[in-house]
Amino acid sequence: MAMTLMTVLAYAQDATFQRDPVERLTSEILVLLILVGIAVVLYSLIRYRGRTERASSWAFLLLGVGILPIVTGMVGTVLVFERAEHVEFCMSCHLTMQPYVDDLKNSQSSSLAAIHYKNRYIPADQCYQCHTSYGMHGTAEAKMAGIIDTFKYYTRTYKLPITMRQPYKNEDCLKCHAASEKWLGLHGDFKESVFSDDMKCMDCHGQDHPAHTFPRQQARYEKN
Amino acid sequence: MKRTSAVQAKLDSAAGGRILVFAQILVLIAFLLGLGFILRTTGGTLFLAASLAPALAVIALVLTAGLLVNKYRRRHSLFFKEEYASGETVFRKGDSSECAYFIVSGKAEVVREENGKETVIATLSEGEYFGEMALLSDRPRNATVRAKTTLTTEVVGKENFLAMMRAVRSTRDDVAETVKQRLAQVAEKGSSR
Repeated sequence: MAMTLMTVLAYAQDATFQRDPVERLTSEILVLLILVGIAVVLYSLIRYRGRTERASSWAFLLLGVGILPIVTGMVGTVLVFERAEHVEFCMSCHLTMQPYVDDLKNSQSSSLAAIHYKNRYIPADQCYQCHTSYGMHGTAEAKMAGIIDTFKYYTRTYKLPITMRQPYKNEDCLKCHAASEKWLGLHGDFKESVFSDDMKCMDCHGQDHPAHTFPRQQARYEKN
Repeated sequence: MKRTSAVQAKLDSAAGGRILVFAQILVLIAFLLGLGFILRTTGGTLFLAASLAPALAVIALVLTAGLLVNKYRRRHSLFFKEEYASGETVFRKGDSSECAYFIVSGKAEVVREENGKETVIATLSEGEYFGEMALLSDRPRNATVRAKTTLTTEVVGKENFLAMMRAVRSTRDDVAETVKQRLAQVAEKGSSR
């Protein structure tokens, strides 16, 4: 019964969140930990009601208020990091991110985001893959920026129009494209300039082939 | 009650119990916020799970740890002073027993409540002590003690009290005799009703 409940709770989310086995397992473990934590705390509250004459009352307190919340927090951090990479998660801040996701999923759009998405050049987590730099530092930076953006969104301290914190870096394109024959064929004449950062990818792709296009939506969201 | 020692802050058992209940409720809310995040992952549930839930859990942990430290220090305290205003309760029946009290000045009355009726079973004055029976029997307090007048006590934690009993034979004999007399007194009062 407990296993069924746990699985139901872990899978209660939209199925697209449960693709990754790491995420799936982490969800199930986290649900188990939380249910055990709730049970321990409820038992301690009902049985002891704050009294501490017995060693067992302190054992339940240590478990329910100390060990289980700490372990749950650690496992929860892993799940947060996994789930925060999904497009659906980015989209949940709909007042600011909806036009970007609409453009991403618009098969008629010729933006870089839409092209990458409709051809599945990036198979999943498209927002995250483009907006994260290479390596562990890139991941940490992206997570930190995401947390800050989430806080700004829910405290309504963000400013419109949404702008990048810093110009889009060449290396964020090159981490995928640098070894691509197709890219090298198209950019061969000036690839060295791109690699050395003398020329920015966004010099061309900022205007003529923009990363995102949303003329009408942007007007609407700026008004909001 | 005036605390004269900055190190040993007294927190009566009832207040300590309420704090622990509050801490556990905070943890319950934190767990529920986490469950909400798993069931529906959005920026909003992340905002709550990443900010409010950890804050609640940390507050609960600090409160519980603080009480644990307070309890531990009290059990290991050695003659710190506590003062009580007239009518103030020193401890209640059922409270956990952590220390014994030696009366420096003033009077204390030992009260038992049965069938809604309160009976003063003893009045203690300067030079006498109370709270030792629960320490010896390792059980909760078996009566309530209140300050009858402004009361000044020196408090000895359980561990030091028991160590003193083991080390000093005369103290052990004196306490044993006092316990015997008090039990006889209680029995006498009980049978005379």
